[in-house]
Amino acid sequence: MKFAMRLTATAAAMVLACGLSAAWAGGAGFGEDDDDSDEAGPSYFGFVRDSSGATVPNAKVTVSLKNRISIVTRTDALGTYKVPGFGRETDPKDIEVSCDKEGYKQLRVVRRSSPSTDPKIPVETECTLQRI
Amino acid sequence: MSKIVSSLIAFAAFITVAAWSGRSVAQTQFGDADAQPAPFNPQMAALMSMLIQPRHAKLALAGHAENWPLASYALKELRQGFVVAARAVPRWKGLPVPDLFDAAVDQPLKLIEAAVKLQYKRQFDEAFGRLTEGCNACHATTDHAFVVIKVPSASAFPNQDFETKR
Repeated sequence: MKFAMRLTATAAAMVLACGLSAAWAGGAGFGEDDDDSDEAGPSYFGFVRDSSGATVPNAKVTVSLKNRISIVTRTDALGTYKVPGFGRETDPKDIEVSCDKEGYKQLRVVRRSSPSTDPKIPVETECTLQRI
Repeated sequence: MSKIVSSLIAFAAFITVAAWSGRSVAQTQFGDADAQPAPFNPQMAALMSMLIQPRHAKLALAGHAENWPLASYALKELRQGFVVAARAVPRWKGLPVPDLFDAAVDQPLKLIEAAVKLQYKRQFDEAFGRLTEGCNACHATTDHAFVVIKVPSASAFPNQDFETKR
């Protein structure tokens, strides 16, 4: 019984010590330190629009690293897509974006140049589709 | 042996508590009472609560009451709210806010404007539904799908009469 109580007290002290140390050090709970944008490199974001400028939901978007891997996603209700970074060592210039939807053909792909080098700001590429 | 270990851990905890509580008396988690007033710089959540959500509700209430002059005013206020928010926070979590607003609400706002001019309630209701869908689509795009906006079912403004005065 005494041993059990001592064990409980020890465990409680350890939890208290760890928790307060983290709080005192300015540490936060789980989730706030999981931003890996520095490691992952910039993510890729953009709109798919039709030739009138209206956004196109549910379009297929392929984001490819030259001759290596491709990620296929679809635009959401707002006509946007998001793809995580390919790694810090990947040059965004090696990333190609294309879009597709039944009844459309790809008209053009335009990358928006951003003055910022903040890795949290995604590389933005707009893809325009034209009705066939 | 284990008694010594538990004593050491308890002492470590005590030291930690003592150090943690030893912060400046004036400094709390809410700031320092002796600091210079900081410029008010509301971020996206505050801007949404101050400029967008109440104006979205007021526009709905005015349209529901077919109070078209008030709806016209509420629409301008809401549109201006989006402009102010996009200028204040042009990027949020790295995403381009003006572009997101444009994609989410520009078309519905134009449809509402036409409905208000025509004083056509059915079109107003339909366009307002599309505006609300746009809000929620934008919340989903920005990983805030849990913030669900809906057409208000009651007034949150007991000190304002939304009915038309003739």
